[in-house]
Amino acid sequence: MVWRFVASVVAVASLGGAVTAAFAQAKKPAGGAGSGPSAGAAVVDYAEQFKTVCAACHGATGRSEVPGVPVIAGNSSLYVITQLFLFREGRRKNEAMIAMAKPMKDADLRGFSDYIGTLAAVPAPAPATPPDAARMTKAKALAEQHKCTYCHGADLAGGQQVPRIGGQKEDYLRQTLHDFKAGERPGYTRAMTEALSQVPVEELDILAFYAANISGKWWTVLPAG
Amino acid sequence: MHQSRFLSLIVALPLLCAALETSALEADAAAGASKAEPEPGWAKGRPKTDTAMKMAPVPAFPIPTAAADLPTKKFKLPPGFQVETWASGVLDARDLRQGDKGNVFVSTLFVGNKVYVLPEKAVDGKRDPKVIIDKTEQATGIEFYKGSLFFATNKKIVRYDNVEDKLDKLGEPTAVLTDKLPGGSDHSWKYLRVHDNKLYYNIGAPCNICDPGDFAKIYRMNLDGSGNETIASGVRNTVGFDFDPKGGDLWFTNNARDWLSEELPNDSLNHVTQPGKQHFGFPFCHQGNIPDPEFGWGKSCDDYTKPVAFTGPHAGTLGLKFYTGKMFPAKYRGAMFIARHGPWNRTKKYADVMVAFPDGKGGAKLEPFMTGFVENNGYLGRPVDFLVMKDGSLLVSDDHAGAIYRISYAGK
Repeated sequence: MVWRFVASVVAVASLGGAVTAAFAQAKKPAGGAGSGPSAGAAVVDYAEQFKTVCAACHGATGRSEVPGVPVIAGNSSLYVITQLFLFREGRRKNEAMIAMAKPMKDADLRGFSDYIGTLAAVPAPAPATPPDAARMTKAKALAEQHKCTYCHGADLAGGQQVPRIGGQKEDYLRQTLHDFKAGERPGYTRAMTEALSQVPVEELDILAFYAANISGKWWTVLPAG
Repeated sequence: MHQSRFLSLIVALPLLCAALETSALEADAAAGASKAEPEPGWAKGRPKTDTAMKMAPVPAFPIPTAAADLPTKKFKLPPGFQVETWASGVLDARDLRQGDKGNVFVSTLFVGNKVYVLPEKAVDGKRDPKVIIDKTEQATGIEFYKGSLFFATNKKIVRYDNVEDKLDKLGEPTAVLTDKLPGGSDHSWKYLRVHDNKLYYNIGAPCNICDPGDFAKIYRMNLDGSGNETIASGVRNTVGFDFDPKGGDLWFTNNARDWLSEELPNDSLNHVTQPGKQHFGFPFCHQGNIPDPEFGWGKSCDDYTKPVAFTGPHAGTLGLKFYTGKMFPAKYRGAMFIARHGPWNRTKKYADVMVAFPDGKGGAKLEPFMTGFVENNGYLGRPVDFLVMKDGSLLVSDDHAGAIYRISYAGK
């Protein structure tokens, strides 16, 4: 978790200025009572904002090499806006993301999440050595036993309120599963915490391993283009 | 039929059962639920088809619709009625109650984690919600009675006396009526009414379909938390009830089970005629005439109290309020407004406000009252609860758009 802290500090330090500037610009003509696009707000290009505000940590494609920073590409805008909302409320704990989300208006939440929702899934880079086949087989059985695919889908691609976890970074998945298990990671509900209540803590890492590596398997069978 | 604002993903039963063990409820409630089942409670009974596997309770949208984008102008009402936006920017607006001094209390469910108060009269043309309770899960059950705010989460019921004098800082509750509610996620949020100095509340089934034990009931207690007793059994999930101003009988909406089929069973409107003695069927019989495919064997629907009226398959039938004002035409006095929040467990969506006219013979006639919540099979808004204002106008909350509408009558 040391990396998390480091990443937080780096992100806040380097992006605090950018984010403030971005929202100052976005808020300029705020005259109306509302906060939606029709309330008279300036037209903000969130694709451009993404480059300034998000890409340094999350990568221009939504997948970066920064350890512990999750892949955000390949998720629905609904999932993304929910997370931004939870950060803004301070309910999902991550200093960097709370700092980023705090100044955001509703229109910013909507703009960023709509744009991020358009980012196509980016497959994990091929690992130097293929994941251990025996461990993958065991992991797959556990994922089925614990019904991960019930909500996340057979290829763990998620959809709507459910995040894509297939191909997500293993360190992030591991951390997230442990946080859910400990009741420290909130959703709107205790859904994941309750789902994990039947999963022994020693099986969390292998589930993370499975989800992280599944993309190497299914991605290759997708038709080109 | 759970209404959709509900579980975002998965709800497993075990945690609920753990909570139950420490609760005052009878332990046999856990009998059906205590098996370790990773399958989420709401998914129990789900067929293994692709279409069904993709269906889940729809999460709330986390930001309110901007005032100018609200569907207010799209709503249709009977001739002579008009609707306006009474308040916008009220994230996750659920139940509505009014204080003696005019303050309107608004609760939330999974998104807001708050209770707001809004002024009766607009200030500079608008009403800004002021947060009086914050960072509280399932901050849903509210009732105002004789100066006090009753407030119930899935875990406890508390009372704030003289609440309208301390809206700037509510402080600690005056009294904790109970902190022994079973908690959990499935159908665990509360709806409250006070009638004849008793507080009525619900404990919904901890699942889509299961043996609910002492869940799936409407209870009442004294205003200090003593004297808890059962008022109605076999009630899967009521999210709205009210007392007939004539005679004082309790009427309630009930959300029926999911996954049986697209068109069955119906949600229902129900009438308690013998408090404490009636069983309304769950989990054995649905809508008064369909034995459950699993729990219905060896049972007869004739052994349970039948509904007064059907309110639609998977409708998410929520708030219920007798019209007690004088503004609307005479035929609405003694009728009930009913909010149909709209299904998640059905591919074709619908949502509206209905009005139910009891026929005096144990039945009721339903008419659509406020429509226009659905466009292109998606929700523009979803009605939840009502408030009859002193002038006789009707407030309707919308948790999807985060707004409150006011309906008035200008016809003759």
